[in-house]
Amino acid sequence: MDWLHFVLAPQVINGLSIGVAVVLMALGLTIIFGLLDVINMAHGEFYAIGAYVAVALIAAGLPFWWALALTPPLMAVIGYATERGLIQRVFHSGDRHTLTLLLTFGLSIVVEDVLKLIFGANPLRIDAPIEGATEMLGLFFPNYRLFVMLFGAMVIAAVWILVFRTSLGAMVRAAAYDRHMTASLGVPVNVVYAATFAFGVALAGLAGVLLAPIYSVFPTMGTDFVLIAFSVVIIGGMGSIKGAVIAGLVLTQIQSISSLWISPVWSDPLLFGIMVVVLMWRPQGLFGRLGHG
Amino acid sequence: MTADIALSVRDLTLRFGALTAVADVGFDAQRGAITAVIGPNGAGKSSLFNLISGAIAPSKGSVVLDGRDVTGHAPHRLLAAGLARSFQITNLFFDLPVHENLRLAAQFLERGRGALRPIASSRVATERVAELLDEFQLGARADALAGTLSHGEQRRLEIAVATAARPTVLLLDEPTQGMSHADTRDTGELIRSLSRDRGLTILLVEHDVDLVMSLSDHVVVMHQGHKLAEGTPAAVRADPKVQSAYFGTAHA
Amino acid sequence: MADAVVLPTPKAELSPTRAIGATRWIAIFFFAIALAFAIVAKSLGDTFYLRLATEALIFGGLALSVDLLLGCTGLLPLGQALFFGLGAYASALTLKSWGDSFWIALAVGACVSALVGIVAGLIAIRSKGVYFALISFGLAQVVSKIVFNTRELGASDGIIGVPPAAVLPGVASTDPVAFFLVTLAFVALVYAGLAYVMETPFGRQLAAIRSNQHRLAFIGFDPKRAKLAVFVLAAAIAGASGALYPMMRGFVSPELMFFQVSGNAVINVIVGGTGTLIGPLYGAALLTALRSVIGSYTEHHQIVIGVLFMVVVIVAPKGLIGYAAALIQRRRTRTAA
Repeated sequence: MDWLHFVLAPQVINGLSIGVAVVLMALGLTIIFGLLDVINMAHGEFYAIGAYVAVALIAAGLPFWWALALTPPLMAVIGYATERGLIQRVFHSGDRHTLTLLLTFGLSIVVEDVLKLIFGANPLRIDAPIEGATEMLGLFFPNYRLFVMLFGAMVIAAVWILVFRTSLGAMVRAAAYDRHMTASLGVPVNVVYAATFAFGVALAGLAGVLLAPIYSVFPTMGTDFVLIAFSVVIIGGMGSIKGAVIAGLVLTQIQSISSLWISPVWSDPLLFGIMVVVLMWRPQGLFGRLGHG
Repeated sequence: MTADIALSVRDLTLRFGALTAVADVGFDAQRGAITAVIGPNGAGKSSLFNLISGAIAPSKGSVVLDGRDVTGHAPHRLLAAGLARSFQITNLFFDLPVHENLRLAAQFLERGRGALRPIASSRVATERVAELLDEFQLGARADALAGTLSHGEQRRLEIAVATAARPTVLLLDEPTQGMSHADTRDTGELIRSLSRDRGLTILLVEHDVDLVMSLSDHVVVMHQGHKLAEGTPAAVRADPKVQSAYFGTAHA
Repeated sequence: MADAVVLPTPKAELSPTRAIGATRWIAIFFFAIALAFAIVAKSLGDTFYLRLATEALIFGGLALSVDLLLGCTGLLPLGQALFFGLGAYASALTLKSWGDSFWIALAVGACVSALVGIVAGLIAIRSKGVYFALISFGLAQVVSKIVFNTRELGASDGIIGVPPAAVLPGVASTDPVAFFLVTLAFVALVYAGLAYVMETPFGRQLAAIRSNQHRLAFIGFDPKRAKLAVFVLAAAIAGASGALYPMMRGFVSPELMFFQVSGNAVINVIVGGTGTLIGPLYGAALLTALRSVIGSYTEHHQIVIGVLFMVVVIVAPKGLIGYAAALIQRRRTRTAA
């Protein structure tokens, strides 16, 4: 009972706070794939940009909460521009999957080096905006992590409502299910695509801001994180929102709890191993695809 | 006279969760004969073909080829047992030339002999390609990329690729799909000669009812996944159940 | 279904067989220029450019292994550096502990990578398209991180103090001209070997997989066997190329397995010309030179490379030699008509 209390519970809370951020990233990735059929290899870089934007805003004197509020819209603009300016250029070729994968891969290389150019290769730190810990059930939980959990959960719930309970979401889901028909119904599909991509990027950027005070911020943080994000999305089912949420939370819990027994070096290999097993057993992931189930 | 059965299907069933695409279908295909499978859209004909040709494993039932149970075998194993198929939606190697499409299929005749010997030394395959180009009248287009062929030519190439490895049983999935009247007639002749002159057992899915009636020795009618009726073309045409399925009314 | 994420093969492009055939003289030209370069460099007493060129060729070998998968078979590998790095480490360890034989180190590098390739291949080839890319990416990430944290392998510092290999009696791998020529011969052999393989039933099966993997089973061949075989072959080539690295540089580090190396290899192939085999070599040469030139001004050469790559993907996805091959092929069919 003590073990449950003093050892396991903190790991679960830790896992949840990371978990919501992973879910946010995975949501962005899966929505982009579900609607645009684009494998966004640069998704990790948008996560990194979000973190660095927060660092820059804070360095400019703004409090963390301003950074939290301003970064996602800024990321949305960047995402929109990326989609219209770059991805649209190869979107209509017959080879879309390969070309967008390669294009976003190229983008990720450029962005990583640009971040290194602007901010340097050394890790940067942001102080947690909420200090201290709250006592619950005889344990102390860092306040910031609690905030991340709650805030993240709220955003995830908001995304869920947006996608499944609003007419905007219905339009997006319809477009994911049948592009051509939706276009012929007069929906401005190009704008929908760009806006959806922007939305996904904003979620990644938000995850970056939220995790910045927890992990340090460095130029290659994107490549590290993108593997987790892709693993979650693949396990959950590419294009499945439900899958991204469930797989994201469960897998970060597995990583968090398993760190009690195995060295952290093995935590990513573990995740990757789970992904491989799931792919072998159920190639389409645990759940279906946006618009399809 | 006991019929020589080349392909025998029993209780073949395919279920996807609550949906049953094929339900307990059974029939025999006589050696050297043309057996047609017809039925309205959604009857399960393509699923039946996918089951027989190893594209998908059945939920229940068996497929017996020349007396051997080949149920659930992968397509390449079925070809080794003598069963080949063509596809309703043209499924060629579009960015490769016609002769390469044929050569790839003919290479099967030399399998197990030097996967790393130069192509030029595969005489058996090379000769087979020349034969096929001649038989299917594709000689003039031999160097063209398969994707640049006209629809009719592509459909012919589809059949040619399927016959390249000298199968004994040939499944043709809507071979005349999208063809002009003249091409359909020619293809019908081709199919008849494959059966008559080369002794292939042919299982045919077709929408062109006239073609089916004039070509087949035996007809199997499917409806909503079930076998509705089977028999000679004339018998099937007169069957009130079949008429009702196709036209919604029974003719007097 | 995983099929929904298949990377479709480009239908309007040249099949690898034709692309390789069309660029035969371009390939001969490459090796002739390389030889001429060696002669000129030796007479000028240069070592820097010879070393740079050797490095370009070593990564050219890695690029060849990527093109074998991508251009010839239609599989996009985003983790080929795994095998390159494994070969490098195996070679370094061999040279440090088992004597200085060039041939043994090379063989060990190739074999270790091939063996790991079998295991990795059994996992990776069950997937297609983007899943294959992500699995190969993930494998490289995971193993490189493990190597990075393994003290016995030098952890983040890698293995240093690797003695030179004896290519021939009296000729060490630190001899710039000799080693350049050895590496050139290696790359030429791999190129010729792969060009030959594409003219065999096995090679044609690879092109068929790239063209329409689905149909291959229905004409009698199990695509999984061919994919595993090509995956292992590509791993061996990458491993052998990697084995050459410590012979020249005297050290290996986990960076050799990092995504940047895999990524650069893919860039070399795409910029050079997917499916032409010689294109990737031109790509490796061009980009190594570019990196070196830019590197003398700033250490942020990846920005330029990345932008160049994106431009190529948008504007000229066939790559340099790819377009040349298409032009040559078009002229051939026109004169033949």
